[in-house]
Amino acid sequence: MMQTTSAPRGIGAVLRRDPAAPWRHLDWPLLCATFAIAGLGCLMVFSATRVGMADAGLDPYTYLKRQLLFLALGAIVMAAVTAIDYRHFRDLAPLGHLASLALLVLVLTPLGTRVNGAQSWFALGAFKFQPAEFTKLALICVLAAACAPARGHLNRHRLGVCLALVGLPAALILLQPDMGSMLVLVAIFLAVVVVAGARPRELAALAAIGIIAVVALFQLDMVDAYQRDRLTEFARDGRGSVTGAGFQASQAKTAIGAGGLFGAGLYDGTQTKLGFVPEQQTDFIFTVVGEELGFVGSATLLALYAVVAWRVWRAAQVARDLFGTLVCVGVLGMLVFQVFENLGMSMGIMPITGLPLPLLSYGGSSLLTSLAAIGLVLNVHMRRFS
Amino acid sequence: MTVDSPRLRLGIVGVVTLSLFAALFARLWFLQVLNAGEYEVAAERNQQRVIPLPAPRGRILDRNGAILVDNRASNVVTVNRAELNRHSEPERRDVVERLAVVVGRPAAALTGRLDDQRFGPFTPVPVAEDVPEEALIELRERRHEFPGVDADQVAVRSYPHGTLAAHLLGYVGQINAEELEAAPDTYRLDSRVGKDGVERTFEADLAGIDGEVVLEVNAKGVPVRELERRPPVQGKDLVLSIDLEVQRAAEVALASGMAKTQGHKDPVTGAPVTFGGSTVVLDVKEGTVAAMASWPTFNPADFVYQITPDQFAALTDPSQGTPFVNRAVLGQYAPGSTWKLVTALAGLKAGLITPATTIFDPGTYTIPDCAQKCQRQNAGRAAYGDVELRKALTVSSDTYFYDLGARFWQQRQRLGDTPMQDMAALLGFGEKTGVPLPVEAAGRLATPEGRAEAYAANPDLFITGDWFIGDNVNVSIGQGDIAVTPIQLANAYATFASGGTRYQPNLALRVQDQDGTVVREIEPRVDAQVDLPPGAYDPIVDGLLGATRSEEPRGTAFNAFAGFPHDAYPVAGKTGTAQTGGDRKDDALFVAFAPAHDPRHSVSVVMERAGFGSTWAAPVARAILASLSGLEEPPEVKPVSGSSA
Repeated sequence: MMQTTSAPRGIGAVLRRDPAAPWRHLDWPLLCATFAIAGLGCLMVFSATRVGMADAGLDPYTYLKRQLLFLALGAIVMAAVTAIDYRHFRDLAPLGHLASLALLVLVLTPLGTRVNGAQSWFALGAFKFQPAEFTKLALICVLAAACAPARGHLNRHRLGVCLALVGLPAALILLQPDMGSMLVLVAIFLAVVVVAGARPRELAALAAIGIIAVVALFQLDMVDAYQRDRLTEFARDGRGSVTGAGFQASQAKTAIGAGGLFGAGLYDGTQTKLGFVPEQQTDFIFTVVGEELGFVGSATLLALYAVVAWRVWRAAQVARDLFGTLVCVGVLGMLVFQVFENLGMSMGIMPITGLPLPLLSYGGSSLLTSLAAIGLVLNVHMRRFS
Repeated sequence: MTVDSPRLRLGIVGVVTLSLFAALFARLWFLQVLNAGEYEVAAERNQQRVIPLPAPRGRILDRNGAILVDNRASNVVTVNRAELNRHSEPERRDVVERLAVVVGRPAAALTGRLDDQRFGPFTPVPVAEDVPEEALIELRERRHEFPGVDADQVAVRSYPHGTLAAHLLGYVGQINAEELEAAPDTYRLDSRVGKDGVERTFEADLAGIDGEVVLEVNAKGVPVRELERRPPVQGKDLVLSIDLEVQRAAEVALASGMAKTQGHKDPVTGAPVTFGGSTVVLDVKEGTVAAMASWPTFNPADFVYQITPDQFAALTDPSQGTPFVNRAVLGQYAPGSTWKLVTALAGLKAGLITPATTIFDPGTYTIPDCAQKCQRQNAGRAAYGDVELRKALTVSSDTYFYDLGARFWQQRQRLGDTPMQDMAALLGFGEKTGVPLPVEAAGRLATPEGRAEAYAANPDLFITGDWFIGDNVNVSIGQGDIAVTPIQLANAYATFASGGTRYQPNLALRVQDQDGTVVREIEPRVDAQVDLPPGAYDPIVDGLLGATRSEEPRGTAFNAFAGFPHDAYPVAGKTGTAQTGGDRKDDALFVAFAPAHDPRHSVSVVMERAGFGSTWAAPVARAILASLSGLEEPPEVKPVSGSSA
């Protein structure tokens, strides 16, 4: 993996050489785990929405159909991302980064749409697209591309460049405001620069800046009261209000706890069905898993995520070059942070931020991004010898 | 940096990842395995709402089955606050204002009711009662415009006879903290319970068993389905010993009599003051109350929902005669000459007199062995000449009884300090009769011992702690510190009339189901069997009979009972005119039992500050006795002439 001379080759060249060769090294465990999670996600989204939709006199399969469509689309995107040699992404990275910045600016204009108090979406007919999701992928690539040439010695200058690369989109996302996505960018950045060779002293300095920034945000009242409630609720452990953020947190915890060892059974959860848990098909989808499938189901899901994390980490280890390693590390940072934050908030050990659970939550942008990211990793993994 | 550095750093990332997963796993274990039970319970509570179904109370009937207290359906508009509060403040105000127009109540009243904290967050709060049907239809048709507003039918008390027997029946009201604490399993915070009268004393029979509906609701509190339904069970009917017709006659007679005694002024402010009166009719053989009335009265229907503070203030205002107080059991009065029954029995028992013993009554009396204020006189200084027991009762000779009172004291070595008070206690004075009403006064028996004790406890309050012969003279005609209640008077005469059986008067005969099946018979309660002095009964009954029908000597109530069917329904009665101190007007009393040869009922009438018992109380009693006899249409009550005590 310490290959440093990897001349870019055109698609044509790859195809000419042996188009099937890399595919023989495809990481099947990662692929299987990924689609197992995504498939379970479809089921859970259906379970979470069928009653409510039927009650509203709508087609109970609406969400399931859409999620299956997203999954199909995602599979295609994933295949495409896997097919293109990842080293092309290194060259395309700056362009992609610029494009993502442009989208982030555009979404703040009247072209964007405000949902749940955040100006984070483009509405495209019946579908919505969240540019922040694309930003994550673009950032992974551009950071990897920026750090790879340093060969494991990230000097201050290059770290500064990285900081700028993450700082601009992070600031734009914070303007929406979408605290969760912003934190994902920070997680990607940290994962990449740590592995890329940032010096401990500078990392410490970064940590200090981070803490000062967070305190400043709170002190300068740049965080809305409701956001502050959500962020601090978990620390109060249900002793807060039974409405608002405390309500979300305690209801989610109650639903998961009520599942017990074996759960209430698929479709038989009451807390989630009766609407006690808010945002249950998106951010709080894990409560449905917890209540209906119990500890056995939840632990299995957790294990599947662990398999994904392990395979991504392994891909980072066996990658042919440092760029590949860093791409995998970026994906690892993104996925692990989101999984930990989302499950953590559902179980009451992390503050509530509006982050979907990768692969499982309802939503096209999130699912497509996660599958594309896995595609990147598959890409790196299967081309470890070529 | 070494070549291995990125590998090492990747290892660090791996370890961090691993520990994050470990943390998630641990938390999952904690929630779903270690603490699962706790959350299951919380989850269940979350999704169930229990809506109480209040049980209708049992009805209250008179002895013949006439309905005195019934239930009626009332259309109540309720508001589910949880649902209403989903809307913004201006929207809420708008809803309340529009609702106020539809139900025809002021918006402020509705807002006030909405703030009632006795109701749970998911319990609909009643905001308007007795809403006309049209308003309900309008609300139903425009349901979407009134979020959280619903209509309900509840059973409330209705009183087909208005204010009739109000004090006796009592009323139903919101449960208070003490009552709830006493029976937390039976009642809820918004339960309504009997507050006074038989509604209270027979609460356990009258209250039904509330039902409930358990609903599964979603997070918005909107019911999804019914899980369980327990229908309410109506309370049992209570059959009173009251006779509706007698009760009505008693109330009409008392009210018209009292109305003619009014016109009192407050001696200090000159403002008009109302004094009250009461009457009790007992069934001598059954040991029950046949009628009981207190004037002025109130309307129990005012308590059906919520009485206003102004209404309550008026009901408890002394200058308006405290209509709320049931004078029949709470009023304590000097018995005046009605007490002479006690003195006569005590004299016969002690052997101081026989029925034939004659005393000369010149119209005045000088107390022997007396230091000051030693002159007493008959009412109007009437001189009755030679007086024996019969005549003494018929004409109400004070002198005859003064003499007895003085002799009791002179022979106290032999007879003890309190022969009159002892006889009174046998007849039930000085202690509660035990009538099943929530409150009752005990009255007061003035005794030398009692006075000494009161003085020792509070020497500044009394002139002396000693008892003089004059005190005994006062007690002999029911003055001094003697205080009795109207029900005690009726019960004492009933005890005598029955030949000595003293009951704790019952108010109810039985408890039964709505279809008439008897649940519980209420047995008569004999309090004591009193030994009357041998040979006392007939002469005393004769003397009392004379009071209502003897023309010569003129009975004190002769005028009041003029034209009464004496032969078919002889009435043994005694007038009483009790001094109330200073230059205040006297309380008028009359007690009787009838028919004299086979007593069935006893009647007491007490009218505060009315004047002579013969003038005011006897005509009221006559009207009631007329109704009891069934022989005479109750005559119009009007004061009669004849100035005797």
